[in-house]
Amino acid sequence: MVWAKQIFLMQDTKTMKEKGINRLYKKNSFSARPPAVRRGGREAGMEYEDKTGRPSKPPSPKQNVRKNLDFEPFSTTALTLEDRPANLPAKPAEEAQEHRQQYEEMVVQAKKRELKEAQRRKKQLEERCKVEESIGNAVLTWNNEVLPNWETMWCSRKVRDLWWRGIPPSVRGKVWSLGIGNELNITQELFDICLARAKEKWRSLSTGGSEVESEDAGFSAADREASLELTELDISRTFPNLCIFQQGGPYRDMLHSILGAYTCYRPDVGYVQGMSFIAAVLILNLDTADAFIAFSNLLNKLCQMAFFRVDHGLMLTYFAAFEVFFEENLPKLFAHFKKNNLTPDIYLIDWIFTLYSKSLPLDLACRVWDVFCGDGEEFLFRTALDILCDPRSALKQRSSGPVLFQMDTLAAEKNRASFHVALKQTNKQTNRKNF
Amino acid sequence: MAKQYDVLFRLLLIGDSGVGKTCLLCRFTDNEFHSSHISTIGVDFKMKTIEVDGIKVRIQIWDTAGQERYQTITKQYYRRAQGIFLVYDISSERSYQHIMKWVSDVDEYAPEGVQKILIGNKADEEQKRQVGREQGQQLAKEYGMDFYETSACTNLNIKESFTRLTELVLQAHRKELEGLRTRASNELALAELEEEEGKPDGPANSSKTCWC
Repeated sequence: MVWAKQIFLMQDTKTMKEKGINRLYKKNSFSARPPAVRRGGREAGMEYEDKTGRPSKPPSPKQNVRKNLDFEPFSTTALTLEDRPANLPAKPAEEAQEHRQQYEEMVVQAKKRELKEAQRRKKQLEERCKVEESIGNAVLTWNNEVLPNWETMWCSRKVRDLWWRGIPPSVRGKVWSLGIGNELNITQELFDICLARAKEKWRSLSTGGSEVESEDAGFSAADREASLELTELDISRTFPNLCIFQQGGPYRDMLHSILGAYTCYRPDVGYVQGMSFIAAVLILNLDTADAFIAFSNLLNKLCQMAFFRVDHGLMLTYFAAFEVFFEENLPKLFAHFKKNNLTPDIYLIDWIFTLYSKSLPLDLACRVWDVFCGDGEEFLFRTALDILCDPRSALKQRSSGPVLFQMDTLAAEKNRASFHVALKQTNKQTNRKNF
Repeated sequence: MAKQYDVLFRLLLIGDSGVGKTCLLCRFTDNEFHSSHISTIGVDFKMKTIEVDGIKVRIQIWDTAGQERYQTITKQYYRRAQGIFLVYDISSERSYQHIMKWVSDVDEYAPEGVQKILIGNKADEEQKRQVGREQGQQLAKEYGMDFYETSACTNLNIKESFTRLTELVLQAHRKELEGLRTRASNELALAELEEEEGKPDGPANSSKTCWC
């Protein structure tokens, strides 16, 4: 709009016959890079056209190119070159010629820009279609081929590749469940029993809790009450921006049930802060009982047990292993961290306890979980390294489209081979130190 | 090259889960308050530089997880602290009772001469109050601590309490500071003190805070 006005203004000032001022205007309007022609310009142009009652047809040297476009540039039509209104003296011929030339240049520029933009948009659309199509295909493959033949197929190269590229949300829960497994042989019945017991406890606590249960020896009623209060407090602090786990939210009771049942299933571990996030992510992808089974088995993994039991010695071992891994892969950054006394406990604790669900955007965290459920704990440390390496790249993905097949930065497909070598080394280390 | 600050201190926030430690910290460093905070896992920290008695003090404030289970982790940070906030929630009698436990932990794990201050947070929730102001004052007196009732929500006494603890730490370290002030090559000496106070923290640290 500004641009169209400028042309008009320039023509107007000409009447003053003050060449100096006019030149200044010309300089200002044309010597600078022409600003992007905006859609709004159309209105300004139209208005002017109406006023003069004579729509002008901008001469375009590339008229034929325009026809071949899939996307019609629209805003160049807003730029109109008009003769001076009849009540004003006419422009000298050479000046009119000069203006025409300048005008043509502008139109060409604007068209170029629009063409570029249109091509970019087209490409984006094509890419999105491609991604959506591949997600659709992946869902089919998972549902028709992989899931029915899980036992025989899960370790095949094809499935591992498919897995690595990301699990479509619709089958995510199932694949996670299968990937985590059920070593503990937890059944729906066991969950129901644990849940019933948890409910009994909540009742007895809320009614004063005079009858002391002797089952959980070493845990006083006050402790249990405190633990229950803490659980409730944390439930309300789990993904507060989603507003589904808070009081009155649709998944609050589900989360409460899983955490309550778990404290009855494993009173020796009990509720530990951070668990609510893990349970919440599972709830978003699985039914209550399945989420409980996955939750219990997940926490039973070596690394998770070490952390949730706050076995400080073992945690330090993990940190030490990570530091070796860190130094090997990013020696410069590692030295910088060392110099500044930034030890892994400062950042790793939160990441490992919540499996990145608290610190990464949820969709990205789910991608980490995808690989974690397949490849195991090593991937958690690999992710840590990727975040340290370039935290912005991990964050950038927050704003862009579906995350499903965008793991390039996180998983660094390009150095996957070296990643596996590094993994093996870490694996050996952690295993050696674990047992 | 002028230094951004003269000394660096580490302060620590401890207290039961949900008393508002993270909120206090966010209010102080970023002047922000969110009613829906998420629980702190392990530890986290933020930095802020304030000026006390003409000395630019860089304070590194460590925020800890309140659950007892995390104590094995959090106690690692006690010994590096020069000042500690003991925080309870005025609407939770239990969190007040637990201050005793927190004090004994400090006695056990923190270095001698560490400065302490008692905070009764959520002072804006008057209708839910379970712990009287006098109770707080009484307890603080018993332990020889200063006492503030604060509200991260209404920004009551936040700056005051953080500045007060910093002052106390400065006073406790006055000797070292005096020593270095009399010396001509001020900067060098300050750097030495810094080494003594704890390792200097570079810009890499601040990048961590964005992950909280």
